Amino acid sequence: MSHYNNTGGYNNPAYHDSDTLEIDRSPSRKSQSHHSNPHGNPYPRDDGAGGERGRSDLQQLPGGVQSSYNDAQERVPWGGWQEGSWRGRDSIPMGLLPPRSESPRWQQHDLNHSGYQIDQATHYDTTPPVRLPSATSGHVSMRFRGSRKMSLFPVGEAALGNLGLSEDDIRNEMENEEQNLVQELVAMSTRDRIKAIRDLPMSFDDKKHIRGQVLALKSFKKSRQLNCFADCSKTVSLAFRRCGANMTLAKQTLELWRGTMKEVGGKFGTGVLSYFKFLKWLLMFNIFSFLVNFGFITIPQLIYHPTPDIPAGVSFKGLEILTGAGYFSHTVMYYGGYSNKTQGTGGLSEYNMQLAYFFTVAAYMVLCGAALIYSMASSFRKKYVLADSGLGGAWQLLCSWDFSVTNEKAVRQRKNNLRIQLKESLSEKVQVALLPLTERLKHYGVFLGTWLLSTGMALGCGTSVYFLSSGSLLEEAATLLLPFVVSLINLVVPLFYSLFKKIEHYSNPRMQVYAIIVRNVILKMSILGILCYYWMKDVANTFSCWESIVGQALYRLVIMDFLFIMLGSFFGEFLSNVIGTKCIQSLGVPEFDVARNVLDLIYAQTLAWIGIYFSPLLPVIQIIKFFILFYLKKVSLTQNCQPPRRAGRAAQMQTIFIAILFFPSFVGALSMVAYTVWTLPPSDKCGPFRGLNTTFSAIQIWMDDLNRVDAFQWTVWIYQHVIRSEIFYFLVSLIILVFIYIFRQITQGRQLLIILLRQQIVNVSSSELSGPTCLVHQSCCVRSGCVYVMMLLKCRSNIFS
Amino acid sequence: MGNKQTIFTDEQLDAYQDCTFFTRKEILRLHGRYHELAPHLVPMDYTNEPDVTIPLALIVSMPELNENPFRNRIVESFSEDGAGNLSFNDFVDMFSVLSETAPRELKAIYAFKIYDFNVDNFLCKEDLEKTLNKLTREELSPEEVTLVCEKAIEEADLDGDSKLSFADFENMITRAPDFLSTFHIRI
Repeated sequence: MSHYNNTGGYNNPAYHDSDTLEIDRSPSRKSQSHHSNPHGNPYPRDDGAGGERGRSDLQQLPGGVQSSYNDAQERVPWGGWQEGSWRGRDSIPMGLLPPRSESPRWQQHDLNHSGYQIDQATHYDTTPPVRLPSATSGHVSMRFRGSRKMSLFPVGEAALGNLGLSEDDIRNEMENEEQNLVQELVAMSTRDRIKAIRDLPMSFDDKKHIRGQVLALKSFKKSRQLNCFADCSKTVSLAFRRCGANMTLAKQTLELWRGTMKEVGGKFGTGVLSYFKFLKWLLMFNIFSFLVNFGFITIPQLIYHPTPDIPAGVSFKGLEILTGAGYFSHTVMYYGGYSNKTQGTGGLSEYNMQLAYFFTVAAYMVLCGAALIYSMASSFRKKYVLADSGLGGAWQLLCSWDFSVTNEKAVRQRKNNLRIQLKESLSEKVQVALLPLTERLKHYGVFLGTWLLSTGMALGCGTSVYFLSSGSLLEEAATLLLPFVVSLINLVVPLFYSLFKKIEHYSNPRMQVYAIIVRNVILKMSILGILCYYWMKDVANTFSCWESIVGQALYRLVIMDFLFIMLGSFFGEFLSNVIGTKCIQSLGVPEFDVARNVLDLIYAQTLAWIGIYFSPLLPVIQIIKFFILFYLKKVSLTQNCQPPRRAGRAAQMQTIFIAILFFPSFVGALSMVAYTVWTLPPSDKCGPFRGLNTTFSAIQIWMDDLNRVDAFQWTVWIYQHVIRSEIFYFLVSLIILVFIYIFRQITQGRQLLIILLRQQIVNVSSSELSGPTCLVHQSCCVRSGCVYVMMLLKCRSNIFS
Repeated sequence: MGNKQTIFTDEQLDAYQDCTFFTRKEILRLHGRYHELAPHLVPMDYTNEPDVTIPLALIVSMPELNENPFRNRIVESFSEDGAGNLSFNDFVDMFSVLSETAPRELKAIYAFKIYDFNVDNFLCKEDLEKTLNKLTREELSPEEVTLVCEKAIEEADLDGDSKLSFADFENMITRAPDFLSTFHIRI
């Protein structure tokens, strides 16, 4: 096997000198090392006087102790022999791992180290000492990585000596720790164990090693257990895991656009990429919706009524694609195209269309809601910022570089941008903390004015839409007027809002983005709200097959929205590029406005969600729309836009976008559908619920039917006493509120604790640096400092876990 | 799974799946990438775990790393010998930590290693200066460089030893929610 090695050997003194070293497991080196190196303490880390199994991920000794240690550079370059032993370990096939009975030998340490034999068959010999991960939160302690013996925390041997530990004690410590790690991992459930192993900051080989030990231990334990139940549950959980892995694999095989997203991310960075990831995520919702609707509603309808009954005189003209009316209005595209009968003859082939329709829509909404809440919560958790920190120098230096940018020009541009930003931040004078009162009043006045104006514009647009819709005619071409006006408003008015940027002076540029987002959301949601109100109040009472009318209106809105997004792309990006480069040079090449585009996507998805009930096949249109939109935006981006200049806080924006998708968008759509289902009388001439008082009565009828059958009494009981009873919901809400209150108090308490601990770190370390004090005192401070740091990190990890 | 691939045994793939954030398909794809970096060195058959490493110069020629200012440090941090020679396991490990699903703590550990140029487990002023020079193509004047680094240390140093330990660094990371998405290389 060939090795390529730049330096030709592993004993690179420049590299190894600063290492702190691992326990030497080889018997030959052991005796030499201890004697030849009286000062160099090979044990890099204090474990808290041996007794403490700190579940922290680091133990820090304050700086005062460092200086004495860093001078002692007589480290033995232990690289060479270790390499050999690592390599040997790699080739242990798992089947040969010895059963547990041999382990006690490993734990007997005698000073001659006869127990540590490099036996290829045992997996304990060259195992590096391992730190304990915290079992529950997956928080792992610092570790040595591989054979480079890089401990992250060099420790003064003076401090260790003061803590009264001998080298043997420390060695025993580490072996015990590794044993404990393996024991812990064995005790966890499979999923937790895999997560814990993945989170260990070790090299892959070490992880494989640990995993091998754990599996050997488990199989040994298993061979001693004759419990059938444990076996069954084990196979079941294994089957589930396999299933989950296969599903991930399947999801990956139809991984759309992987190459494109990589290209976009490589050139424009993660901020712009988040738009495309959001688009892809919404597309998944629509694909799921399509599958569910098509499978459970449309296919049965098509099986039993393969040809739609279209009245005479109506034929397919091309205009239907735009208007959705005419030919389409009698097909399965809309609510009206579905029958209300129970299909099939009897027995098993009976298919109750009413229940199917209702439950399909309900199940889809519930699943969507669950998925949204889950991703909102996990996004919030990952990206929650504990304290408000500005875009300071440290952040810019260490956290802001986007590693996924791979295009040379983009990298160069980012470096330039960073340089400019750093220069700016260096040359900034101290901000005037308080402007004079008149200035501030003027600013507040301007804010008030712009907000009133923007809200007024939104309401004005809403009322004009209302009047337009109530006056609109049913002729096919004229029905396009309303969606046209709506989309025009959605395109033009946000441009006005961005003009306000010139007048307003927000202290924080992020506040400006938030202001723009809030205004746009108010505009879009108020227009949609007014349209929904109109549909539910007027259309439901006026027309005979009103659900299909609403479905058609939504269809038109979706199509128009698509056309206008294309137009917006044309104006926003292509024209801006042309103007910026050819006409007004000072404007320059435009940047991709992520916020505006994401809000457009959210609006489009809201339309689709509202339309689920009225037009079951609307997701098809949405899927096509998103597909085309992806490629359109990508082309527009690469041709017309430049990468963003400021490294912004894309992650927090993402959380906000998901939150907006949940709160006004999904909740609004859900409430509208719920209101329709609960209170509005369905039309009596068409649709699956014709003849009923409300859509929900279908469930009532079904429950009455079930009541006659004895076997299903429990379902009826649940229905009557849980779902229909108000007391139940009241109690549940009360309990949830109590829990929220309790958790909030806990969170606040922990935040306070973090502040206190942070202060104590500063106090402890500043007391360290102040003059030479007695070493015992130092070691006590060291220990208490360790404890404080560990507590701090544990608290933080608990908050985040 | 039914795929008749002969590159790895099933146990090996299981081990890779359990210890990294990749699926089988991605591991095989990674092997393909590793192989094409040095087709004469890297065997197609890894069932008996050959002992092959690829030197630093070849690894940083990958398009994902080619333009990254920290490419050398990244590869060095994941290599066993510290000189940048990656075996396949190190290679997988590297991209696993840099993948999307790796948790923040793990990424913070390795980010710290990457920025720690002199490998003393602290980010001292020289480390920060080197980082800054790599990030700005050395177009800042030396005074500006010193100023920025001092400001950075001042901001992030909690325990007042005028260099950043891992605790300080991690504390800063928790305040940077973007870190998870920016410390990410797609492969």
